[in-house]
Amino acid sequence: MARRSRAVRMARQARSLSLILVILLLLTCACATLTGNAGIARAGEEALIVKETFTPDRLGAAANLSITASFASSADVPPSPIERLTLYGPVGLGIRSRGAETCTEAALERQGPAGCPADSRVGFGGGVAVLALPSQIVREPFTLDFFFASPARGRLRLLAYASGVSPVGASLVVVAKEIPAPRPYGLGFSVQVPPVLTIPGAEYASVESAFATIGASDVAYFKTVEGRRRLVHVKGLTVPRACPLGGFPTRATVEFADGAIFTVDPAIPCPRD
Amino acid sequence: MSARLTRHALSRAWRVARACVRASLLATTGLALLAGAIPAGATSARSVHTTGSQALSTSAPSSTPAPTPAPAPTPTPAPAPEPQGPATIAASFQPDKLGATGTLTVTIDLTGDTPGVPPPLRSSILRLPAELGIEIPHLQSCEPERLRLLGPHGCPAQSRLGVGRALVRAPLGSQPLGESVSLWVFLGPLHDLQPTFEILAQGYTPFDERVVVSGTVLPDNPPYGEDLVLPVPAIPTLPLEPAAAIASMSLTIGSRRRSAHESNTAVEPSRCPPGGFPFAAELTYADGSMQDASATTPCPR
Repeated sequence: MARRSRAVRMARQARSLSLILVILLLLTCACATLTGNAGIARAGEEALIVKETFTPDRLGAAANLSITASFASSADVPPSPIERLTLYGPVGLGIRSRGAETCTEAALERQGPAGCPADSRVGFGGGVAVLALPSQIVREPFTLDFFFASPARGRLRLLAYASGVSPVGASLVVVAKEIPAPRPYGLGFSVQVPPVLTIPGAEYASVESAFATIGASDVAYFKTVEGRRRLVHVKGLTVPRACPLGGFPTRATVEFADGAIFTVDPAIPCPRD
Repeated sequence: MSARLTRHALSRAWRVARACVRASLLATTGLALLAGAIPAGATSARSVHTTGSQALSTSAPSSTPAPTPAPAPTPTPAPAPEPQGPATIAASFQPDKLGATGTLTVTIDLTGDTPGVPPPLRSSILRLPAELGIEIPHLQSCEPERLRLLGPHGCPAQSRLGVGRALVRAPLGSQPLGESVSLWVFLGPLHDLQPTFEILAQGYTPFDERVVVSGTVLPDNPPYGEDLVLPVPAIPTLPLEPAAAIASMSLTIGSRRRSAHESNTAVEPSRCPPGGFPFAAELTYADGSMQDASATTPCPR
């Protein structure tokens, strides 16, 4: 009799335990759904959140890669200025510049995006910069324009033109250089960001959030080929032909002027079809 | 077979033509703008009246005492549309002779010579003068699906009512990006016994995109004859970036040369009201604002 009642108790405990496990599992799934494919890096009161998406989301297709990044802090201070940005994309991610031209840093610095050939354009973006003035913190929206530059030593280079208008007019040209990528990545870019002075007495500008939208599936330009004007399609960025379990691995490392380093590993979900 | 249409049929056809014009408004496509797409010299409106205005605001950067809690993952900071001038409309007949067959060109400028990007257009109603007609010797219609799949050559030439150009702009990056868009207007299938028209908009560079928009023709009150009603779909650009907007468009209905491929013609009304032929456009934008533009085309001498 006593043995039987103990067995019943154990069965109840087992049921309770499995119920708790199911609830925990559901909560875990719910959290995963809420964060989507975002990569989050935390350090103390600060966090870096990065999310990436392919459009269209199809293996092997010419596509757009959109990236959003935001720096979150529970402290009442702006983030430190960014010194270096390193990005890694998955194996098989292609950038095909055939049919496109290139722009130069000099032309971009001198004339802005208008100084670059239309068919050297790679993408757009923007974000919010933070200017720590002596008496207040000011947020300023900025835009980004990306262009193909001529390769150096066989490695791809991209130019980014950052521009803010109000309250402080400022522009900046930075170069993204292709770098070797360790496994499981196949493509890497490194960007050195110089300090951005705004007004005398103010600290260097920092970035609170940014986004970039690179490539498109339907980009085309008219070119004269063998004496005839033809519409030439630029394939641009292509989604890898195979997707590993867990999605396309990517990595972003942001190094700040105060020595902090944030690394996030957001995975882009595999296409559903 | 090439008999002239009766007044009733003409009026219906005219409706279609008007619809086409509106459709050209809608002629939305990919993005990009382009320069000088509209043949400004093609119009000869003597007076252009514009009413209404758009409540637009430029966003000033926020100045806050200190950063507050953690910002959410960055959504696109959609730039506010530029303040824009009044929209204008102009129309002209070629040849300009009462009752003559030829072409009607309608041009609508949504920016009023203001640089920048207007808010995206969501619908347009083009009001055409009474007794305006279209002569269609070989009545054939065009299915929108064929246009989507095959482009302008997917439909019989006899169903083509006109051609045109549009300029589309989008605030991407630091500068507005523009694309010149080619337009074709076709007679669409009857819908609930109402005439319809299809506008094929094809942009090539920097985005090779094709859009087909369907419009309808509705009766109006004098001094107008019929309205071309055209819903304008959103023109997506790139993920995270704002949609594109139509900056201007011009549509020519009919052809001056008669051939197997260019057989449909516009018919100028046989009577001209005092002050000229009235044209008007009612424009509704994505931000909810509305704008009216009107003009009278002088009577022929």
